[in-house]
Amino acid sequence: MTTHDVDVLIVGAGPVGLYGAYYAGFRGLTVAVVDALPTQGGQVSALYPEKNIFDIAGMPAVKGQDLVAGLVEQAAPFCPRYVLGEQAETLVRLGERWQVTTSGGTTLVASAVVITGGVGAVSPRPLPCAEQYLDRGLQYFVPRLDVLDGQDVVIVGGGDSALDWALASVERARTTTLVHRRQQFRAHAHSVKLLEQSTCRTLLDAQVTAAAGDDGLSCVEVTVKGDFGPVAVPCTLLVAALGFTMQIGPIADWGLQLQDRSILVDSAARTNLPGVFAAGDISTYDGKVKLIAVGFGEVATAVNNAAAHLQPEVGLAPGHSSDAAIAPSRAVSA
Amino acid sequence: MSFVIGAPCVDVMDKSCIEECPVDCIYEGSRMLYIHPTECIDCGACEPVCPVEAIRPMQRLAEEWKPFQEASRELFARVGSPGGSTKVTTLEDPHLVTEFEKED
Repeated sequence: MTTHDVDVLIVGAGPVGLYGAYYAGFRGLTVAVVDALPTQGGQVSALYPEKNIFDIAGMPAVKGQDLVAGLVEQAAPFCPRYVLGEQAETLVRLGERWQVTTSGGTTLVASAVVITGGVGAVSPRPLPCAEQYLDRGLQYFVPRLDVLDGQDVVIVGGGDSALDWALASVERARTTTLVHRRQQFRAHAHSVKLLEQSTCRTLLDAQVTAAAGDDGLSCVEVTVKGDFGPVAVPCTLLVAALGFTMQIGPIADWGLQLQDRSILVDSAARTNLPGVFAAGDISTYDGKVKLIAVGFGEVATAVNNAAAHLQPEVGLAPGHSSDAAIAPSRAVSA
Repeated sequence: MSFVIGAPCVDVMDKSCIEECPVDCIYEGSRMLYIHPTECIDCGACEPVCPVEAIRPMQRLAEEWKPFQEASRELFARVGSPGGSTKVTTLEDPHLVTEFEKED
C-alpha cells in the first residue's frame, strides 16, 4: 500500500484542482492531486476536450484539452504527485492533519485538503451485459495502443474516443468492429471519413447485448435494430466508450456541510471541517456562479488560506508570482 | 446556463437524451421530458441525440421554446433539486404541457 505525505492534498484533477496544485507549489507547499479518472482534466477532458472555451481570462479561445495541458505544465515545476484512476473514498481526521484513502488502496496524509471535485467523480458509463468480463476483455479506456495488438476488437460508442480507438485498432488488431446505437456519429467529420475508408466493420443502430467466453472474453452478441436475431462477433477485447457519468460519490459522506449536493464554504473557501477547503463547481455560497474562471479564483483563495492555516507566520498574501523563482523549492521525490 | 426541451418532445419522449446525460438531470413528465435548469452542467451531450431536435441551448432559444422554458422553471421551482431523475418518479406536467395541443 502506497502512502503519500504532503502539505496540501487536492481532491479532483479538473482545471480548478490543477490550478490549485500550481498555487500550492508557488506557496512552497508540497502537493498531491487525486482523481478517479486515469488522466488529468476532469469534466473538461472527459466531456469536451475538443470544444473551444471562450471565457478563460486572457485567452480569447482555448480548446479544453489545451487548457488542461497548459495547467499541467504550469503546475509541473512544483512536481505535484498525481494519484490518478483512484477515487478518494474516505476522509479521516488524524490529530491536526487529515487522511484520505482511495479505491486503489493509496493513503494520502495532508495538513490541508482542498476539494475541487466538480460535479463529482467522473466514471465511464458501464456496459452491464459484459460487466463480468471487466479487465478480462472489457475495458473502458485504451490506455496504450499496444493492448490492441492481434486482438479481435469490438468498440462500442459513437464519439471521438470510440472513433479514435477504432482507427488505431484497424492498424493493430486482427479484426475491428465498431458498434454504435445510432446512425450518426458524434465525432469529428474527418474521423468519420477515415473510418468509412478503413477496413473497420461498422454496425449501426446496434447494441452489444451479450458477452461470452469461458476464461476471458471470446465473443459478443450484437443486436441490430430491425434485424432478425443477433449477430455473433468474435471479440477478445471489448472497449466500451459510452461516455461518462458524474456523481458526487463518497465526498457526500465526509461530514461536510452540503447544500443541494454542493459543499458550503465561507469567503475564505473554508468548509465546516478545519483545514478542509473547497473550490470550483463543488463549492457553494450565496451568489455562486459556476464557471472555470470563478473556480480559478476560488482555488487561489482556498490554497492561500490553506497556506496561512498551515504556517500562520507566513500570512495569507502569496506575493507577486513575477517576483518568484519558478524552480520548486520543496519538490517531492517520487 | 442549461438546455431547454420544447414542443417537439411532447408525446414523443424518445429518451435518448436521458441515456446520454452524464448528470442524470433530464426528468420525465407524462407528456414530455424536462431538463433541470440548475443541475444541467451545459455539456451539450443531449442536443445532438434528440431524434426530433427538441433540445436547444438556453442562449439560442427560439420564441416557441420560451414558454416551455418558463414551464420547466415553474416545475422545478415546485420540485426543487432532487439530484438525479432516477431518484424520483414521473413528474406532474405543468399546465402549459397538459393543455398543449400538438400540431400534426
